[in-house]
Amino acid sequence: MNAPIFAVRLLVCGNADRGDDGAALAAVAHLLPRIEDSIRHRIDVRRCAQLDATDLIDVPSHQVCVVVDTVVGIEPGTIVTLPLAELAAADSPVAPRSSHALPIGQVIGIAAAIRGQLPDGVFVGIGGRRFGFGNRRSRAITGGMRAFERAIEGEVRRFASAALVAGPGGHPGV
Amino acid sequence: MHGSDLRFQVENLTRVEGEGSLHLLIRDGAVEEARLQIFEAPRYFEALVAGRTPDEVLDIVARICGICPVAYQMSAVHAFEDLFGVEVEPPTHALRRLLYCAEWIESHALHVYLLHAPDFLGYASAVELARDHRDLVADGLRLKKAGNHLLSVLGGRPIHPVSVRVGGWSRAPRRAELLALRPELEEALRLAKATVEVALSLVPPAFEREPRLVALHDPHEYPMNRGHIVSSDGLALPPQAWGEAFHEVQVPWSNALQSRGNDGLPYLLGPAARIVLDHDQLHPLAAEALHASGALESIRRNPYRSIVARAIELVHATAEALDIIEAYVEPDAPAVPWTARPGTAAWATEAPRGLLFHRYEIGEDGLVAASTIIPPTSQNQAAIEADIATFAPRVLDLPMDAATHALEQLIRSYDPCISCATHFLDLTIEPTVPA
Repeated sequence: MNAPIFAVRLLVCGNADRGDDGAALAAVAHLLPRIEDSIRHRIDVRRCAQLDATDLIDVPSHQVCVVVDTVVGIEPGTIVTLPLAELAAADSPVAPRSSHALPIGQVIGIAAAIRGQLPDGVFVGIGGRRFGFGNRRSRAITGGMRAFERAIEGEVRRFASAALVAGPGGHPGV
Repeated sequence: MHGSDLRFQVENLTRVEGEGSLHLLIRDGAVEEARLQIFEAPRYFEALVAGRTPDEVLDIVARICGICPVAYQMSAVHAFEDLFGVEVEPPTHALRRLLYCAEWIESHALHVYLLHAPDFLGYASAVELARDHRDLVADGLRLKKAGNHLLSVLGGRPIHPVSVRVGGWSRAPRRAELLALRPELEEALRLAKATVEVALSLVPPAFEREPRLVALHDPHEYPMNRGHIVSSDGLALPPQAWGEAFHEVQVPWSNALQSRGNDGLPYLLGPAARIVLDHDQLHPLAAEALHASGALESIRRNPYRSIVARAIELVHATAEALDIIEAYVEPDAPAVPWTARPGTAAWATEAPRGLLFHRYEIGEDGLVAASTIIPPTSQNQAAIEADIATFAPRVLDLPMDAATHALEQLIRSYDPCISCATHFLDLTIEPTVPA
């Protein structure tokens, strides 16, 4: 049996027990079953409660990376999609929640320095409001979940489909 | 700057866990005030655990910190088991040490390579350090990852583990699962030994003082889960009796309570204290590294040498983790039965940053009625302020940026986890009108 050839690494950040912080986990759990096998089998889903530099460094060069997380700095419930490199920009208003040990700019910067360059890919986030341990998801996040799922699905389909066209090991870039 | 009255205010201390600032008032060349200001909002965990069962408490207190969740679980579980008269099986004790080794590895690797090393090598952050010293930072990340991986296998997740239970574990790992970690940990041990060489090559600022050091001490093992509370001036107390020698005080500039000895004096916890007070219990490989370094005395006297202490403890933790895995025998049952009983449950264990004390009042219903959690950074605050007051006059002749950097570097040498103590540190330096 051949090992699957993944085209997309989907890094799902957050904690289910911290209110809005669990939005990415819930969205991915909900959307994956409805994606057809030919696409789903090309997605390598990795859970990373906190996005760590090694999560990005370890992305193989032939894979595109999609990072999903709840963010602060935008209206709760709204969706943001950014190239990964823009997350590290000092003037970016978007701050993913799930990087505790180092600020997100440091995580991205260290990964880029050690890997030579960041993996191709995008960040998909949803604005959150409540992050306390044991909190329920906020009304704003609940209202934005369908759009969040659509945004994530759109990105993984785009990259996985393009890789199918390009053939094994190929991806179209971002 | 020299000779006049000065007010230093570092508004956002960087490369520490959490959020705080430093305020210094210099009058006639002497430090009149040194305040480590912790303004992160109180987090109310002590109230959150009220009315909860002991096992629920273990999952709740792990959420206090993403860097040292194991420490919170360990102090709590030992406190409960001590009160309830629970005797755990030897494999359970070994696994808890293994879990602590995992936390020490990830926490110390983070601090040595990503938070503290940039200071010594003249970089503003680990990003700049990684651009010029890619292999060095990559080694640090690999070491950290080994700790996180071990934590995942034992605790179910890389942060906020969920497997620790009163009486043992919710699920004990299979021997094969642990043996599979051996290659990664053997590589981590190699990297840990190299870390000692790296740490020794970093030239510390010339600053020495005589701190009062406090740590756990056990005659049979390097302190993690058990031992008496001992100090460099002869204290020896059981792990339940922190309050007999220390107390908390509230200061107006900090949202975290400070701790002092009952004589009113500060004391210092953490890797340097453990190395000095417990070096006889180090793993032979770590003891060999310490002996070869010749750094024991400088670790005691110079706070900047804490980076060497952490490196030695990285060797200890990786070497002991390998030993535990090699000797591991799966327990017959993951946990032994227990029954709650009312009373006071108290215990101290050794978090990466030092002694962490928990006390719980358990009611007749077996639920937590009240609790006190005293993290190492809270206890270290007064000692850090005292060291800053001693050190600051040496930097008054420096340009503002250099003075600020020197003070921040000193604070970072204690690896403060302000998130635990409540989160934050921020320095401004401004001249004031002479009195």
